[in-house]
Amino acid sequence: MKLSISIHWRRKETHYRLALTKCRACGRVSFGERKVCPYCGSKDVTTLIPSGTGTLLSYSVSYFRREGDEEFLPRITCLVKLDEGAIVPGELVDVDPDEVYIGMKVEAVLRRYSSDDPYGLIYYGLKFIPFLKG
Amino acid sequence: MQKVYVTAAAMTKVGRHFNLGFKELAYEVVERVIEESGGEAPDYLIVSSTLAALQCHQLDVSTIVAQALGLSGRRRIPSIRVETGESSGAAAVEIAVAMVRSGMAKKVLVVGFEKMTEYPSAKVNADYSKILDYELEVMRNVTPPNYAAMIMKDYMRRYGVSREDLTSWPVRMHENASRNPLAQLPFKISKDAVLKAQVISEPITLLDSFPLGDGAAALMIAGGDFIPPGSEGVEVLTTCSSTSTPLYLRDELASLPATASLRKVADAVLPSGWRKDAAVQVHDSYSIYGVLALEALGFAEPGQGYRVVEELEYLNPGGGLKARGHPIGATPIYGMCELYALMMEGFAGLSFSGSYGLVHSMSGPDYNSRLIILKR
Ligand SMILES: [Zn+2]
Repeated sequence: MKLSISIHWRRKETHYRLALTKCRACGRVSFGERKVCPYCGSKDVTTLIPSGTGTLLSYSVSYFRREGDEEFLPRITCLVKLDEGAIVPGELVDVDPDEVYIGMKVEAVLRRYSSDDPYGLIYYGLKFIPFLKG
Repeated sequence: MQKVYVTAAAMTKVGRHFNLGFKELAYEVVERVIEESGGEAPDYLIVSSTLAALQCHQLDVSTIVAQALGLSGRRRIPSIRVETGESSGAAAVEIAVAMVRSGMAKKVLVVGFEKMTEYPSAKVNADYSKILDYELEVMRNVTPPNYAAMIMKDYMRRYGVSREDLTSWPVRMHENASRNPLAQLPFKISKDAVLKAQVISEPITLLDSFPLGDGAAALMIAGGDFIPPGSEGVEVLTTCSSTSTPLYLRDELASLPATASLRKVADAVLPSGWRKDAAVQVHDSYSIYGVLALEALGFAEPGQGYRVVEELEYLNPGGGLKARGHPIGATPIYGMCELYALMMEGFAGLSFSGSYGLVHSMSGPDYNSRLIILKR
């Protein structure tokens, strides 16, 4: 067994809602729920739940094989700049690699991260797809 | 404060050592270092391994190595294990130097090892990926070569550099490795071979990234007062290290901020013009990192690093992580051993007339970065 219920559950705001940390001192927004602003060190921070839309900052089509994910290759790994200003690392799915471009509008959707198949747990969380709501 | 020296060094060939476990690999290099040190045991053992818990199912590897090598029983030599991702070996040297400089120990034996071939590469890759933040990056299926790929793309776009321009790195590393009998990949390659190799994470191909190989390397780090005159070896002028923010918190992708902060230490410690008088080892798990490290350390202006790869005479003389190989916990110690050999008697077909040696190491996309400065 490689996956843990508690490790995933503890970060559910990150995995299900892309929770961000907004700093009241410097105004910057960072990915992840944090007690300290990584930019200025202030502890005057609050959690911000983003809308889930943003633009593609960078991406790479990956064939890097890791145990258990061979059948999902290639993956498109990306950095997305959310409309709230934070940059989030993740995956882009439901799109042909040839149709991906930097600056593309994307939105977050719930998908499967990984699993202990055939017998175990499945981790779910947010990935990105091309923006559809338009 | 003690002056600190490297007084002995040994390394194994990097490769697939199916018949050797980590105990045998460590034994080979430790025995040679102790022999070179006149048979005298150290008074402290520092072990560096990044993946031992995941690849060898072994906790407390420093004790297990001490027991296996006969350093524990009658001699009861204390030991400690160090792990800081891909730079673990440099962290081990950093601690050894601090112990000797402070007088806490006279002679510290540093040994790094990694077994990278006990499992299929997909498991090794999964374990290696955990140098990143497991909860925020790894669980979301983001891996080290993905970050290197996005950094490389950003570099190419920002500076108008072509994919072909960046083949200068692996071509040079393989050329160097072709003269190093201990390298995992001791053969030359062409630019075309790099471009046409299997894609790992585009634009990174197999020939932009390090091979999986086992290895071990060891050093004796000793205080000046305890060394017979004339056998000082190579002096360790200073060690320094730094951490930086995750890639997704950076305003700029195509630079190495932690490494750049270490450049200031080198410039403060060394005389001006030191770069013309130095041999350098930089961390090149992926081609782009070698180029960016040269820029961060001031060997080239931003966007120009790929141009100086062929000009620098003493650059990763053993072939770098790319071609010598990257047995992770041992890698920076290989870097030290190669520069020690170069400065003492020449190495891999090179003789060295300069005065300084720099060993740079980092983990992932510069998440932590370390620099060791040597002088002969
Ligand atoms: Zn702040």
